[in-house]
Amino acid sequence: MLIQILNGLVYGTFLFAMASGLALMFGLRRIVNFAHGALYMLGAYFGYTAAKLAGFWGGLLVAALGLAVLGVALDILVFRPLRGRDPLTTLLVTFGLALISEDFIQTFWGNDTHSFAEPALLSGVVQLPGTTFPIYRLAIVAFGILVAGGLAFWLTRSKVGLYVRAASHDPVIAAVQGVDTDRLSALVVGVGAALAGMAGVVAAPILSISPAMAADILVDSFIVVVIGGLGSLGGAFAAALILGQINVLGVVFLPELTALLPFLLMMAVLIWRPTGLAGSRV
Amino acid sequence: MNAHAPVLAFEGVDAFYGAAHILHGVSFQVRAGESVAILGRNGVGKTTIVNTLLGIARHGAGAIRFHDRAIERPRPYQAARAGIGVALQGRKLFPNLSVRENLMLGAASNRAGAWTLDGVFDLFPVLRERAEAPGTALSGGQQQMLAIGRALMANPDLLVLDEPSEGLAPVIVDELAAVFGALNAKGTALLLIEQNLSLVERVSRRFAVLAKGRVVEEGSLDGIDRTSLQRHIAI
Repeated sequence: MLIQILNGLVYGTFLFAMASGLALMFGLRRIVNFAHGALYMLGAYFGYTAAKLAGFWGGLLVAALGLAVLGVALDILVFRPLRGRDPLTTLLVTFGLALISEDFIQTFWGNDTHSFAEPALLSGVVQLPGTTFPIYRLAIVAFGILVAGGLAFWLTRSKVGLYVRAASHDPVIAAVQGVDTDRLSALVVGVGAALAGMAGVVAAPILSISPAMAADILVDSFIVVVIGGLGSLGGAFAAALILGQINVLGVVFLPELTALLPFLLMMAVLIWRPTGLAGSRV
Repeated sequence: MNAHAPVLAFEGVDAFYGAAHILHGVSFQVRAGESVAILGRNGVGKTTIVNTLLGIARHGAGAIRFHDRAIERPRPYQAARAGIGVALQGRKLFPNLSVRENLMLGAASNRAGAWTLDGVFDLFPVLRERAEAPGTALSGGQQQMLAIGRALMANPDLLVLDEPSEGLAPVIVDELAAVFGALNAKGTALLLIEQNLSLVERVSRRFAVLAKGRVVEEGSLDGIDRTSLQRHIAI
């Protein structure tokens, strides 16, 4: 049981690292980014290639920096021109980008599944009462908590974080105070993309790298963002932890319903509290 | 600074929301250290003047000049950075930010000047007492003080006040009138958009009346026939 709870924690914290970028982007741009899973996948592939030359940590750095640049470009070239357009248009464009990314991966890396070794520093297991647990999985929990703590510190203690919180509530009124919301959005989308890219590398040693990897994580990330409250990071953190436990415990206690449980939870939250757990942005 | 130089000038300005033509050749000036009131009934385009200045409404024909420099395609963040502080109609405070954070946001334009957090707290001591409360947890009058304080944090040369008396008790309006008078006396130019004639008379010396998006009357408030102005404001 302890192992199941820990595995749920691993998946939940990892899912938060992934969904936090989605929540931030929605807060600033009001865009439901169907290409977010593609950013995660591109991060994994960039990291995989870079790691061959520079090891796991080099791969993580390349994925973070590469996806940050890609995120800024995505905001300037795609999200900014889509500002004010109807949600269906933005949905179709980002969905199209996800398909293009998948083709790009298949063209340059092929359809094969790749494995990615964990760093030597984090290999091995820790002894727990009556069992063992991989150190790397605990490192993923630490990564998710670090992302949550870092974002919370950035948003509540820095001037830019204050601007992000204001613009997430009302970008026009924030701009009237002198905040250049276009530059701010580029920064936030860059940060969100970098987090997705890093999540791709972090997940690679325990999940396989393949062109299909984007779809599963995207669905769960959306469920986290919706349950948490669109654009709310605190809500997303709580939702990710709940979803992590539901995914893992569902396999043990309700194996026939495992795939349905996240959707049932989302339905229940939307009926009980349509604005999500947090009910407000960032 | 030349006492008669216009800080803000609208010269035959047309403005639109989408295809809807709201302002038709609107002209007026606010000179340095002056307080000018824009009067008019609901829906005549008063707030569109503010929104045009901010780039929220589309600026068509005509010119907008701030410190004699034409503002061609205004963007919302440029106004604060140029020196225009705006207390928007309805206050538009951030419920997810504290009073202190709402005020700090007002300094996002990074303009140096006399107004600091402590300065605003000295002007409105109640804001210091409620500094950590959410901005929208304050009373209506306190929220208006916060909106004005936030606009002052931009250290503006021109303070635009859009219906600051809306929904406030007369005693609070009196308090605000004294604050506006003091700010104006210290050299901050004011553009007061109002329907409350009693507030306008205490704060402004010149006025322009807007009707159906056009300036239909303007001049000095000194010795003006109050009933003629009241006629333009009454519903």
